[in-house]
Amino acid sequence: MRKVMVVAVREYVAAVKTKAFMVSMIAVPIIWAGSIAVQFALKDKVDTNDKRIAILDYTGQIAPAVVDAANKRNASSIFEEGSGNRRQILPRFLVEIVQPGGKELDEASFELSQRVRNEELLAYVIIDREALSPPADSNESHVAYYSNSPTYRDVANWLRGPINDRIRQIRMARLNLDPKVVRAAMQWVAIADLGLVSRDEQGHITQAKETNRIANMLGPMGLMMLMLMSIMVGSQPLMHSVLEEKTLRIAEVLLGSISPFRLMLGKLIGTVGVSLTIATVYLCVAFFAINQAGYGDLFPAHLVWWFALYDVLAVFMFGALFASVGAAVTDIKEAQSMVMPVMLVVMMPLFVWMHVVEAPSSTLSLALSLFPPATPMLMLIRMAVPPGIPIWQPILGAVLVLITTLVIVFAASRVFRVGILIQGKGARVGEVLRWIVRG
Amino acid sequence: MNIIEIENVSKTFAEHVAVHQLSLTVPAGSIYGFIGPNGSGKTTTLRMIMRIYYPDPGSGSIRVLGESATGAANDRVGYLPEERGLYKKMKVRDILRFYAELKGRKDFRSAVADWLDRLDLGAWANKKVETLSKGMAQKVQFISAVITEPELVILDEPFSGLDPVNADVLREEVLALRKRGSTVIFSTHDMSVAEQMCDYIFMIYKGNKVLDGTLDSIQDRYGQDTVRVCVEGNGYDPNSIAGVLRVNDFGRFQELHMSPGADTQHILSQLIKCGHVNHFELIKPSLHDIFVRIARPVVEDSSGLRSVSKEVARA
Repeated sequence: MRKVMVVAVREYVAAVKTKAFMVSMIAVPIIWAGSIAVQFALKDKVDTNDKRIAILDYTGQIAPAVVDAANKRNASSIFEEGSGNRRQILPRFLVEIVQPGGKELDEASFELSQRVRNEELLAYVIIDREALSPPADSNESHVAYYSNSPTYRDVANWLRGPINDRIRQIRMARLNLDPKVVRAAMQWVAIADLGLVSRDEQGHITQAKETNRIANMLGPMGLMMLMLMSIMVGSQPLMHSVLEEKTLRIAEVLLGSISPFRLMLGKLIGTVGVSLTIATVYLCVAFFAINQAGYGDLFPAHLVWWFALYDVLAVFMFGALFASVGAAVTDIKEAQSMVMPVMLVVMMPLFVWMHVVEAPSSTLSLALSLFPPATPMLMLIRMAVPPGIPIWQPILGAVLVLITTLVIVFAASRVFRVGILIQGKGARVGEVLRWIVRG
Repeated sequence: MNIIEIENVSKTFAEHVAVHQLSLTVPAGSIYGFIGPNGSGKTTTLRMIMRIYYPDPGSGSIRVLGESATGAANDRVGYLPEERGLYKKMKVRDILRFYAELKGRKDFRSAVADWLDRLDLGAWANKKVETLSKGMAQKVQFISAVITEPELVILDEPFSGLDPVNADVLREEVLALRKRGSTVIFSTHDMSVAEQMCDYIFMIYKGNKVLDGTLDSIQDRYGQDTVRVCVEGNGYDPNSIAGVLRVNDFGRFQELHMSPGADTQHILSQLIKCGHVNHFELIKPSLHDIFVRIARPVVEDSSGLRSVSKEVARA
């Protein structure tokens, strides 16, 4: 065991001293923080250029109301009231009414399209004569929005309000209904999204807190991404170091002093150290950042030890696979193509995590989280989503991962033992399987 | 006492028999030289002694330092592989400490400094391996193999690629190791090194043991069947002399390998006819000559072709 630790310490020091480690340790948080800072900076730098819209209204009754609504909006809601100064934060919508003037619909629509192409207009709306009557089915539309910028939705979204308000108003007037009475009758009721009520230590019943779906998804996702990153940051350099020992013929020197299994074990322990270092740093940073932001109770502190356990197991499991790839190939190109299937297995949870977050207790989620290569990430996600899962599930998951890890480490050590001394050509899959079976 | 006892061991890779039914004993305190052409099985034998390779199942046994189950990780054995490598990014001192620790040595600090000074590498202790010349890296590798003063030192081609000064330094260190009680096995392609340094010489050819014993005993087996001559004269062609099987021409002199039963007086009289004979000496064949006789695939003689198997059988 002492020799194993000598190898582990060297592996750890060599990995931590590399530029790649420094970059992932320092640069990645800087990039994250930077991207958030840029988002905040851009928030106030929105586009405030005027948006011109034309309305061709064949009913003649709707467009003036839209113009009024636009004027009202331009006068008030596009400004932010600061301390003493008034600042425009949204663009003005300038609505122009176009008279049909006896033109054919197609002709008029083409002319307006040309004006959009010439950038005189952002968009135009055509309201046909049938717009005031309720449509026979919900897919039928008598109002159309034409534009050349399909990703800019602010105008289209805003138009829905004044156009529908005006149409409803006209319909109610025709039926002699009082708009106030109708509005009161049709008032939409919001449903509050709450957690559960509980009883505190003094016996008082505490009110349920409002739940935030996005915030509740961030915790599980953050844990999954952190684990993925700590696996990759540890395992990739492990593969490169095995490849280095093989190509520079260091392996045979080492094998004169330590058995292949122990050598690999030492390297894996060093890699676990690298992974835990990066995970610890990130968890600490995340903890402080979340506390600073006032969301301290969203930090999944109760899962830190489970995270550590699953992280250690995952790094052993995937690290052994990466190490055996490094031992089976002869150059970095071969390594990259051979490591692809391993990467797919590592990243499998990314393809299914949304389902697992939304339905953590479903049978499919349970089955996926008990599939050992996916267990470390998916089981943590299921534990992180309130109200959590029965304790036997993460324990069973850990046992299954442990068994899988032992099998993989055993098989990988056989590949490692044979592969690391072979020079000249990479091993075929069949050969690798034979090494595993025969030893 | 024997440090290594190999009995009837074979090693096969797929269809290729790398070592065939090999038996060998290495006495304690000796320097044992392994010779043989490239690909003949030297490194495979050394790796089997190191337990990096295991012999074919059921093919015999290998006992090292009296133990038949020692793993490759034997702290009492130092190993310098033929294919040597060092971590490029590590400092010389760190890598030696790493290897010393791997061999279980705890008080390695002074030993590392001593060895670096002895091999004239003191100034390079804090330099990264990638800055060293090939010869310096080889000396660092040598230190890593012997830093724990192991009972058995196995060196695969320790002198290849070294300049004469560094080769001498390393040779002295190997002799000093033996003086301090270590048993040394090394493989080499340099026959003069083997002749000068080795108490015993073992030659393997195509996986089979073809020579094993002291230099004298090996040479005795071949008898005095060689004459070293120096002849001046325009008409001198050693290949035309009757009774000469093969000629090794060293430029200033030639070694004539005589056919069995050839008469030295008759050869001398032929040489006198060719020119002025400055030197005529009946000698035992050199190790180089014996090696070439065995390893040359096919040897011609006056009676036609004869296969190498006769030499092998003779050995």
